[in-house]
Amino acid sequence: MGMPEALRAPNSNTVESDRELDALMARLADGDRSVFAEVFKRLWSPTQRLCMHLLQHDADASDAVQQAMQKILERASDYDPQRPALPWALAVAAWECRTIRRRRGRRREAPMEAADDLIGADAETEHVDRALTRAALTALEELSDTDRETLIATFWDESASTSGPTLRKRRERALTRLRNTFRRLYGIGD
Amino acid sequence: MESATDLTPAIRRARRAYELARARRAVLGFAPVVVLVAAAYVFGDGGPWTTALGLALFACGAAMLWYGRDLKHAVLPGVVAGSVPLVLVLCARQLGDFCTGVSCAALCMDACVIGGVLTGLAVASVANARRSGPRFWLAASALALVTGAMACVCLGVSGVVGLTLGYGAGVVPGLLQRAFAKRSP
Repeated sequence: MGMPEALRAPNSNTVESDRELDALMARLADGDRSVFAEVFKRLWSPTQRLCMHLLQHDADASDAVQQAMQKILERASDYDPQRPALPWALAVAAWECRTIRRRRGRRREAPMEAADDLIGADAETEHVDRALTRAALTALEELSDTDRETLIATFWDESASTSGPTLRKRRERALTRLRNTFRRLYGIGD
Repeated sequence: MESATDLTPAIRRARRAYELARARRAVLGFAPVVVLVAAAYVFGDGGPWTTALGLALFACGAAMLWYGRDLKHAVLPGVVAGSVPLVLVLCARQLGDFCTGVSCAALCMDACVIGGVLTGLAVASVANARRSGPRFWLAASALALVTGAMACVCLGVSGVVGLTLGYGAGVVPGLLQRAFAKRSP
């Protein structure tokens, strides 16, 4: 199986842009309002793509991106400059999308226009995917070896052959710890 | 969907959320200082000046945390340094149970002056270690003096003047050190 797109090494432009965003976000967290609009503009596009990607619905995504941006900037002062800004922001946005999707309840079919919009945005979607994967991997790294192995086995469905109450409990505990770690790192809850 | 060129209303809404979140965070972050104010009120003279200085301390500290940057970084050193004369004076007042009259007032005045000197030294050493700018010096000094004054005000204006003079004496060596360090290549 090939390496997922999100795990491939990003190109130098992306790295440079991410570093600039990290620095701007750190300044905003410290209270430097002069970078507010710049941070907003830099985060808008990837957040919009992520919301569209996750919700597959124009109107829902439009609401979600506005709410997600508010939530991200509301939490800007909590941003830890030691961590990359984009995965942090997208993790907050993804959580907001999840909340909106839950709130809306019923599943809607994505209109065809939404799919068309996404066609030209492959590179950016890849970038967003990569950032989210980095966020998830950072959270995963904080877990113990046993928890990590359990979750990876669950992801690849390797546990099916050895399923039982013990493994199920272990998996539940590992998932709870992953959820708590994610919450601690990115400041997002249920 | 909103285009990237028409982001002004969204930026305005996000900015409001950012400022409100910072304000909430500042008030919560400065809340523990209420314990200091309460201690000054209960163990000090509990007069209206203590209350007024406590309110001023809370308002200034929360505003500095909300603003951020140099001012935010000055809050903790300022309050911690200012609590030195506060604690010294409150302890001296407790000794008042064992002494009377002028000697007690002199003990409190000594606590204000010595506390002021220690506060000045502490603020200067932190500011020099961090190579902070004048805004840090001013913010930390203001918070330290208001914190200390909550207790020294029990002696009236003389207590606050004693604290300020002590602070000046403590901070001058640090300021000189900084001035000479700037001149040297």
